[in-house]
Amino acid sequence: MNLGALFSSTDMASTLIPETILLFGIIAMIIVPNLGNATFRLPIPGKAWRIPYFVGGKRFSFTSDPRLPSAIAAFTLFASFITALLSQMGEIGVADSCIAMREGVARAGPEWCSGGSVILEVNAFSRLMEMIFTAALLLAVIANWDRLPATPHHRIPLKTQRDEVVENRRLHRLLNNRRQVDFSLLVLMVALGMSTVALSANLFMLFVGLELASMASYVLVAFNKETKVGPEAGVKYFIVGSVASAIGLYGMSMLYIWNGDLSIASLHSAWTTGPNGMAIIGLGMMLVAFGFKVSAVPFHFAAPDAYSGASGPVAGVLSTASKAMGFVALMRVLIGITLVDDGSEWTLLIGVIAAITMTWGNIAALGSHNPKRMLAYSSVAHAGYILAGIAAIGALGPGEGSELIATAIIFHLAVLVTFKLGAFLVITLLECEGRGHELEHYHGLARRDPLIAISMMVFMFALAGVPPLSGFLSKLMMVSGIISSTVGDVSGSSLSDAMGSMSWVFWLAILIFINSAISLFYYLRICVVMFYDDTDRHLRLSRAPMIRIAIMLCTMGAVVLGFGVLADVLASAAHDAAMALFG
Amino acid sequence: MEITEFITLLGNPLTVLTLLPITGALLLMLVHWLGNDERREMLANPIRYTNLGIALLMFVLATLIGLEEKFGMAWGEYLYQNCEVGAVSTGSCTLISSIGVSWHVGIDALSYPMVWLTTLLIPITMIVEWDAKKGAYFHSLILMMEGALIGVFVSLDLFVFYVFWELTLIPMFFLILMWGGEDRRYAAQKFFIYTFAASVFMLAGILVMYFNNDASWVGNITGKSFDFVLMDTSTNFIATEGLRSVVFLLMLIGFATKMPSVPVHTWLPDAHVQAPTAGSMLLAGVMLKMGAYGFLRLGVTLFPDQVIEFQTLLIVLGMISLVYGAIVCLGQMNLKRMVAYSSVSHMGLIFLGVATLQPLGIAGAIFMMFAHGIISPLLFAVCGSFKHHYHTLEIDSMRGLAHHSPWMSAHMMVGWMGSLGLPLMAGFVAEVAILIAFYMAFGWWVLLPAVTLIVTATYYLWSMQRTIFEGSGEAQLPPTMHGDEPRDITWHENTGMLILGVLAVVYGIYPDFFGMFEMMSDWATLLVENAIFPPEVNP
Repeated sequence: MNLGALFSSTDMASTLIPETILLFGIIAMIIVPNLGNATFRLPIPGKAWRIPYFVGGKRFSFTSDPRLPSAIAAFTLFASFITALLSQMGEIGVADSCIAMREGVARAGPEWCSGGSVILEVNAFSRLMEMIFTAALLLAVIANWDRLPATPHHRIPLKTQRDEVVENRRLHRLLNNRRQVDFSLLVLMVALGMSTVALSANLFMLFVGLELASMASYVLVAFNKETKVGPEAGVKYFIVGSVASAIGLYGMSMLYIWNGDLSIASLHSAWTTGPNGMAIIGLGMMLVAFGFKVSAVPFHFAAPDAYSGASGPVAGVLSTASKAMGFVALMRVLIGITLVDDGSEWTLLIGVIAAITMTWGNIAALGSHNPKRMLAYSSVAHAGYILAGIAAIGALGPGEGSELIATAIIFHLAVLVTFKLGAFLVITLLECEGRGHELEHYHGLARRDPLIAISMMVFMFALAGVPPLSGFLSKLMMVSGIISSTVGDVSGSSLSDAMGSMSWVFWLAILIFINSAISLFYYLRICVVMFYDDTDRHLRLSRAPMIRIAIMLCTMGAVVLGFGVLADVLASAAHDAAMALFG
Repeated sequence: MEITEFITLLGNPLTVLTLLPITGALLLMLVHWLGNDERREMLANPIRYTNLGIALLMFVLATLIGLEEKFGMAWGEYLYQNCEVGAVSTGSCTLISSIGVSWHVGIDALSYPMVWLTTLLIPITMIVEWDAKKGAYFHSLILMMEGALIGVFVSLDLFVFYVFWELTLIPMFFLILMWGGEDRRYAAQKFFIYTFAASVFMLAGILVMYFNNDASWVGNITGKSFDFVLMDTSTNFIATEGLRSVVFLLMLIGFATKMPSVPVHTWLPDAHVQAPTAGSMLLAGVMLKMGAYGFLRLGVTLFPDQVIEFQTLLIVLGMISLVYGAIVCLGQMNLKRMVAYSSVSHMGLIFLGVATLQPLGIAGAIFMMFAHGIISPLLFAVCGSFKHHYHTLEIDSMRGLAHHSPWMSAHMMVGWMGSLGLPLMAGFVAEVAILIAFYMAFGWWVLLPAVTLIVTATYYLWSMQRTIFEGSGEAQLPPTMHGDEPRDITWHENTGMLILGVLAVVYGIYPDFFGMFEMMSDWATLLVENAIFPPEVNP
């Protein structure tokens, strides 16, 4: 393959601006923290002429600053987010475009979207999902800004303390920003992997992106190594995750043997003519891999351990961006490949998994007293709601109702970033004082810090789906999509006739409602302990301004995206994305 | 009138009524929170007065609307709409355009009494709980509650209706949780979860209705609308009879829990007993009416055939609530619990009134909502001051209240007499209207509810005789007094109760005061003529 052709085309660059920015961010992250006063001595005898070449030596103060990696990562993610937004709005680059492999050369441009061999496609769906991923990661990076990752007891020393720091070896080690570089580098790699998943129109690219993001996130989970549970969580997450990935890859290879091509369009046309047994087994195996990513029951067992072991921001990313990535992959496969006009075979299976997932998640969350575990199980329950939506799409086949449900799913994945990640950030703030993993640590939070307590209350109510918060709107759209798919074919003049003719999908909607009511028990419990119970600690929470900024952003998002103009904007964007997903 | 014109200039008066209390309360809480400790102390009183001022302004506004307009003249006509139906269906008043949510408010003869009652009760609850050391947020939460309640009564868009319906829970949850009695934690959680779970079924019903209500405009991705008036005027709204029954039952679960009717009433006694006085006054006075209002607005107006189909169910629910509530009352030792169960009993009468399908019965049911909204807050105010001054709610612990607290005993008498349906009191008008309609509809079966009313009279008279009068001269004080001298109620408690007591008598003697009974019976007549038994349309 001609490497020159890959980069010579301006179409390529304008198609992939956000990803290019991420790539340059990664390169900058590797180079910049290594810059120092290294010089090269010219080999002239008798002269000591030195030419500085900057890589190595004693590092400059700004390149060894612990805030630098976070700044680079935040800037990169923000630029990536903005360019994705602008290119979707048509301001820069190309709005809808594809990258296809033809004759061994990658070609970019809207004209390559038809004709097969498309590996990446840029459209409303992939851009919106990219924005969701980068927004979630950006919030996590901001929250990590002025505290070392996974070191709950130390804050970054102030500038005025620098001189004393040199004396103090331990603090000196903290000033060394190698760990922050590792962390931020991994975060950017997660972003790149997730963006690839969002763009991919080919199962191979999808798997590459998924693995890039997963591998980086395994390490991120294990990054919390000062605590006892951190490494354990990382190892557990890694082992279970790689087994799931291996199964998924095996399933994918079966699909390849069956079809001879892994592009989603080609697989879809082959599937409509009728899959054989090998293809169905292959699909089932891929569902295992994606089921692990979205933590659907029975593949959810690693999730609570991983979430409670990881540091707050990382757990937040796992439960929002990583889960959204799993759902993108799931939708690519289930909607992109296997959705046929008159309902699909897998519908009932997904429906059953959805019902079990949401119920199990809620019941397990009721019994967990560690708020992180509780949020992990609530995330399992939310996965169940979304799976119910996907099951309804399968029962319905492509059409208006399905588009509405897909809109709801995308909308839900977007607003989840505000309130789910926000809740984890509140936990992060408590982790700054080495607490946050017991329900007692939340006692009397409203007296210690009213603003944070009110934010947490907003997040809890949004998770439970209390109006007028964004969690309500997303759940409402989901359920209304499911109900719309069933009310059309209800017949009969009496109550029992009508109940009898109701599609089973309608009961999924009712089950979602019942589960929201159950979930209120544990969400409300957090509100009650914050406002009602007393605590013996009366210190204010740690100042950590960047975490607070991130929490405030999340709170505002959870409120304004639920009611009013911005909710409308996001819903329209999600609808465009859903239209693009259905093609 | 010039004043209402001026208000119209500011915006739609109903929008103002809904949003001003909510934004005002949030701002006041923010102002208080931003200050440092000294300033907070200084600000507490001005904030309290501002809260009361806004509440009184609301009352003046609502009264002006009532003086200005004559309600109930035409069926399906909503006054003070911010947006005509034609404009709604083309999407010019949208709030969340992409899923068909509009900001559409309007008021008619069913909602006006409730709005007026809300604006009347809010300042009274504030006055009754005036000096209690409750901090600055207490009155702001009550004010926030007012906006949410009025929002429920005036919104004609079912999405917005549901949002306000649930929004009422949040201030009430905190009122109970922060200022309630001993067991407030349990009561607050139970209250929230129970009513939230029930109204979620109502939401399922609303969604089915939504998908049968076409309104496509540019940017509406579903092509449907949540607008109530569009549903009401649509000719083939939910054509399938069976589906209509499903929707009706789903909504009945939500409304019956809120009212509450017997199998789903258990949140009420806990919430009432644990809530602070203002909280129980608002719970009994307005929040229970939300259920009845929603049932009349959504259940009866949109699904009249289902009311006929499920008439027996309604009567059974109503009778069980009536009888069970009354009998449980007999065994209550706790004053607040007794009043709470009497609310269950009275709410049963509303189902009975609606199930008669007579104009008089429905008018009686609406008037019952109104009369109960005046009398039960009075009773809860009395219970609250009893708790405040005697530190107990046990009926048995007290004898000869009249001796020590003549004013409190007088208000208690007025409240109980009104509640048991003494002639010339507001409750009597409603009961008699419902019973007459019941007789017109079902003949001598009327004896069943009529006899139950005797039980109601029994429990009230019995406890009244024990607490107020028995042992006059040498009164027995509850042990919780610890030998303190009993005092009578304070002036501000007295003011609030006096207004309620006077209104209870005024509406008993002259139910048409402020045009109330007339507008209700007009509305009920029009409902029966136009919706329940519509005239045969000749082609």
